Amino acid sequence: MKEEGVELIREGKRLDGRGFDELRPIKIEVGVLKRADGSCYFELGDNKVIAAVYGPREMHPRHAQDAKMAVLKYRYNMAPFSVEDRKRPGPDRRSVEISKISREALEPVILKEYYPKTEIDVYVEILQSDAGTRTAGINAASVALADAGIPMRDLVSSVAVGKIDGEVVLDLNAVEDNNGEADMPIAMIVRRNIITALQMDGRMTREEFEKGLKLAMNACRQIYELQRTALIERYSEL
Amino acid sequence: MYRVVIPGDFISDAVDRAGEGTYVEDGKVYAIRYGVVDEKEEIKVVPFVGKYIPTKGDVVIGKIIEISFPYWIVDIASPYEARLHMSEMPGENRIEFGNMHTYLDIGDLIVAKVINIDPMMRIDLRLMEDFQPGGAGRLIEIPHTKVPRIIGRKGSMIKMLKEKSKCFIFVAKNGRIWLKGSKEEMDIASEVILMIANEAHTSGLTDRVAHLLDSYSYSSNRMARK
Amino acid sequence: MGLEIMDDVKKDYVYNLVRGGKREDGRGFLDYREIKLERGLIKKSEGSARVKIGNTEVMVGVKLELGEPFPDTPDKGVIITNAELVPLASPEFEPGPPNEDSVQLARVVDRGIRGSEAIDLSKLCIEEGEKVWIVFIDIHVLDNDGNLVDAATLGAVASLLDAHIPNERYGLDGEDRLDVRDRPVAVTMVEIGGEILVDPNYNEENAAASGLTVITNDDGTISGMQKYRSGSLEEDKILEMVEIGIEKAGEIRREFLE
Repeated sequence: MKEEGVELIREGKRLDGRGFDELRPIKIEVGVLKRADGSCYFELGDNKVIAAVYGPREMHPRHAQDAKMAVLKYRYNMAPFSVEDRKRPGPDRRSVEISKISREALEPVILKEYYPKTEIDVYVEILQSDAGTRTAGINAASVALADAGIPMRDLVSSVAVGKIDGEVVLDLNAVEDNNGEADMPIAMIVRRNIITALQMDGRMTREEFEKGLKLAMNACRQIYELQRTALIERYSEL
Repeated sequence: MYRVVIPGDFISDAVDRAGEGTYVEDGKVYAIRYGVVDEKEEIKVVPFVGKYIPTKGDVVIGKIIEISFPYWIVDIASPYEARLHMSEMPGENRIEFGNMHTYLDIGDLIVAKVINIDPMMRIDLRLMEDFQPGGAGRLIEIPHTKVPRIIGRKGSMIKMLKEKSKCFIFVAKNGRIWLKGSKEEMDIASEVILMIANEAHTSGLTDRVAHLLDSYSYSSNRMARK
Repeated sequence: MGLEIMDDVKKDYVYNLVRGGKREDGRGFLDYREIKLERGLIKKSEGSARVKIGNTEVMVGVKLELGEPFPDTPDKGVIITNAELVPLASPEFEPGPPNEDSVQLARVVDRGIRGSEAIDLSKLCIEEGEKVWIVFIDIHVLDNDGNLVDAATLGAVASLLDAHIPNERYGLDGEDRLDVRDRPVAVTMVEIGGEILVDPNYNEENAAASGLTVITNDDGTISGMQKYRSGSLEEDKILEMVEIGIEKAGEIRREFLE
């Protein structure tokens, strides 16, 4: 996986100057799209992600309706120009899997029983990708759902940790991800301290995993505050 | 001052006053929606936006979108369609299978009351007989969450709107508003309603609305004098 | 959010406004909504632009990859234009393969750029019959409030002007700037109640019986046209639209593509 001679950590700092427990810069804008019921633009370093929510709306086909609750749908999609080598338009196995785990990360907070027989659509477009797009997508989607007026118990916050040059670090960028030893995205309901998504690939010891999980959970707390502030400030200045 | 909350925000310990837009957990009241806290009677969260979900007794403006004997299927600006049974149509004549469209046709607008909602979200309507838009006037649509602001406290806002625009205004619970008047009157009413809907969460709104309405009557008086 | 008129009433509303000399958002008939152009937002692409025309928003990215030329043009590079009407952008858009609207959008943009010969395809040839540059123009619609064609064309041309050739990534030498010789600009108009409206918004597009896009170049020549919808257009209306198209294209070119 790792290219020969790539040094990811030098004098205790990462290539982009961050410490091990430091997030990339985050920017959040709420209500950026006119046609959507709710929307959010989310930047995490060089990741640029936009999420839109439509619904609850009548579900088609009817036989797919759930008589007791709304059906949540989630579509993660990468723009062809979002990565170094052009991405062929349309869904592939990777985006299908990401869509599934992202949906499951958000489902626990949504009061789907308020809207039987309907669907709630979450669309996430990755405009630029630099590792961590699924976590940025979940963060954006969570804010967009709130913006759409969907009843929820909480927000969901998400981040990845990984291992590079033998060290557990927070929020890998693309260079680190491509040359790293492990990557582990999580999603979390911060106020309840519970995890709603967890994936891991690569290799970590049990100790490294525990350390990584703590690191990620702490970062989710920071992200939650930023999500909350973005929503509150949208209406407070008026 | 308005207090803006997001889903999951703690609001109060007064569990017995928890109302719409909140949930109770471990003896505390939390917000379930993104919106503004209203603690005047119950503790409520008034959402900024959200889809209209009917409750029994709501008066709505609907549009006939399908005829499926013995029902008219009605769009009520909601994720759910409503239905109006043939027997709700007044008059002596018996409505036959093939002639429902001669009473109400696809595209027609009706004012109706929600009389029943079953667990499958089938929504039954009753026609408000002596009160129908027919073809006249103009229909506008705003988010249903802004309807309380259009009405105002004890109906103060709508009263002012009607008096100063001289326009007939009927505000339905589902965010549809029926206007009837001269073109100018309807233009003024539309514009002011739009302003209220867009600035619903701001303070000092009533004064700004009054000011805007006065500026119209001032300019129309001047024009009349010329 | 805001004031929405119900679909069937909406058409009458737009029509009546136009008959009274007005538009929904208060513009003049020949005025564009505010245009915003940002370039170079997507560093992973060779060139990119985000265009906003009012509430309509489009992101365009240009990528260059090495590939084989078409057999009938062995010494020429290739332009491939693709548009995605992702369901994020409108309640009417659905996931799935390109439909007729996205195909039309991509082809109109492509036609304008191809027709203008803004890109000298013979300069994109590396090895005749074997290796040429393929220029991918990807249009990603983010918010559809009407007139996607003008936004997408402006975004595509701005992206091309911004683009570099990624020689290094493929271990090649050569000129790094993509040579763009012309700046085609699309101007879309609709006819409502006998009036020509420039830059229709979503409601105006739906209320119109017919519309026309005119794509013109630096020297005022036309390099692409497309008529829309099932209504008809009279000859003098078309001539008037072409004249307006040339004039408006000049204004946009001066402001955004100099």
